[in-house]
Amino acid sequence: MNERDEQGRKRARYSPWILLGPGMLFLFLFFFFPLYTLGRMSLSYRPSRFANPKFGWEWDNFSHAFSQYGSQFTRSFVYAALATLLALIIAYPLAYVIAFRGGRFRNILLGLVVVPFFTNFLIRTLAWKTILGDQGTVVGFLRDVGILGPTGTLLRTPLAVIGGLTYNFLPFMVLPIYVALEKIDPRLIDAARDLYSNTWRAFRKVIVPLSMPGVFAGSLLVFIPAAGDFVNAYYLGNAQTSMIGNVVQDQFLVQTNYPVAAALSFVFMAIVMVIVVIYAWILGTEDIA
Amino acid sequence: MSNRDDRIRHDQARLARLGLSRRQFLGRSGALLGGLAVGPALLAACGGSSGTGSSSGSDKSVSISNWTSYITDQSKKDFTKDTGIKLTYTEDINDNEEYFAKIRPNLSRNQSIGRDGIVLTDWMANRMINQVKWVQPLDAAAFPNKANLRGPLKAPGFDPTRKYSAPWASGVTGIAYNIKTTGKEIRTVQDYLDAPGTKTALTEMRDTVGLFMRSMGIDTATPTYSKAQPAFDALQKAVSDGKIKGFNGNEYVSDLGAGNLSAAFAWSGDVAQITLDNPDVRFAVPESGGMLWSDNFMIPKTTDKANLASDWINFFYDPKNAAILTAGIKYISPVEGVDAELTKMGGKAAALVENPLVVPTDEFLATLAIFGPLDSAEEVKFDKRFSQILGSG
Repeated sequence: MNERDEQGRKRARYSPWILLGPGMLFLFLFFFFPLYTLGRMSLSYRPSRFANPKFGWEWDNFSHAFSQYGSQFTRSFVYAALATLLALIIAYPLAYVIAFRGGRFRNILLGLVVVPFFTNFLIRTLAWKTILGDQGTVVGFLRDVGILGPTGTLLRTPLAVIGGLTYNFLPFMVLPIYVALEKIDPRLIDAARDLYSNTWRAFRKVIVPLSMPGVFAGSLLVFIPAAGDFVNAYYLGNAQTSMIGNVVQDQFLVQTNYPVAAALSFVFMAIVMVIVVIYAWILGTEDIA
Repeated sequence: MSNRDDRIRHDQARLARLGLSRRQFLGRSGALLGGLAVGPALLAACGGSSGTGSSSGSDKSVSISNWTSYITDQSKKDFTKDTGIKLTYTEDINDNEEYFAKIRPNLSRNQSIGRDGIVLTDWMANRMINQVKWVQPLDAAAFPNKANLRGPLKAPGFDPTRKYSAPWASGVTGIAYNIKTTGKEIRTVQDYLDAPGTKTALTEMRDTVGLFMRSMGIDTATPTYSKAQPAFDALQKAVSDGKIKGFNGNEYVSDLGAGNLSAAFAWSGDVAQITLDNPDVRFAVPESGGMLWSDNFMIPKTTDKANLASDWINFFYDPKNAAILTAGIKYISPVEGVDAELTKMGGKAAALVENPLVVPTDEFLATLAIFGPLDSAEEVKFDKRFSQILGSG
């Protein structure tokens, strides 16, 4: 065994760690360290109202977060689930058409999905206020055709909040599904046809299973930020549609109760984690990887 | 032009002469987002980099934070010309609570916030002066014009001798409405609740709860939670009955003009903007009374330039400079003799003297009330209940 082999083996042993280094450092600085700070804050107490919180195993923050804000938690996850479902219903056909029927316009169509993102998130949400406003054409039309009562409104309803969430996070659903669909080998569909499968069956048996990783990724990319969002509920909702993000915002910036805000964030993360694990378990993780 | 003058003379449309609001809505929401994204801890880390806590004598510069549209360029230039003090002026205050959350990490650790002067509303001034004690006295020697402070503003509960604070400007909270949507004039809080269409109130707790308290004949000068409870109950009922659809800062500005809102609790200055383009939008102080608030100049305890910061406020307590400022921002000036100076300026500025929302008459002032100070325990109860009604508490 010569010296160069020995060196090479050594290098091979360390190189994964060297390659992982920057990523691990990033994770440590911007994930584990903030998580630790957040955890510490969530177990702190306030010696007086405006004093800086002190650490002291204050589990009351968590029981407070659980007991007081149950309805906002429920609402957050229900709204986010509905928005995810709506986004899926809109995004799947869209991604399908772009991937299989887009032809040479594929890139332009994909670009069009992303273009709204060039506008500021807040501005896009505020635009919906105008569109859904009482004097807007949408409400006028729905009133005329009798879907809304003569005094019916859209703005400041749960519908507006869910709509806003769906709209704002839609591209996060379209892109992963597109990528999954685009990867599918067209010969597999041809093979299904050769084996006397009709279009619908080929779609159900070949395309849907193969696009599941995209659906899974897209759902998470929509569901998680939507559940934590506070902008849509703030601008498009009313006092009865506030989500957990609004509570955290209020605790942080109005009540200046950092420990409870931190505990709320922790509880939120825990619930999201559980939901994601269940979701992955139902869909089957081997498809996902 | 004459056509418009007639309109302006008419009724509430005199509000048209009021100026831009300091509470610009995009600024507010943007700051809210920014505040959340960055977080107070990070702000603490990168906040006081433009440190002003150094050498007061040599460079003679002063750094002031204020609300949006609360100054004129003319005043800024005049200040530096008159005093030789270089000015850094930042319009980064959009909301009392949000600004408090922003400066809290530094001031609680006795670190500089990079400002020599800040302007906050009465109740927040109370917190700064009496609860957290993060401000220092104004330099009396550098502030001789304090003598020009108007009588009614001289001894507020939170600062009885005006040792720590000097009012910058005052304004009125009332009801703004679009007469096309409401179909009739709004004169009371009940009228507002009964009006058809979508209505909103303000996220600023003292303004919304204050107007409800006054409508029920509850005194707002010495508020306690037990006294205010009926007002909270009425507000909660109005929200759950759908009579008040939402709470906002000044998003109501555009919505009222477009007719998406029929009525809203509003700040006098904001409504002026809309009225200028749209005479259907009007402003009323409820018959039960409106709320009067002042924004107060204060000096953070972490600066050693109290003398220069006092020079700054002293400059604006000269009636002549105060008149130029008032003509620009069109809010109520705290300085005695501003009306005479405005008249001397002639033209549009002189016309402001006739506007009770800029130069209030005694009768008009008598219909307004200030929301008195709350001690810390009471304030927690007020904030908590209000958050619950807003759905986030």
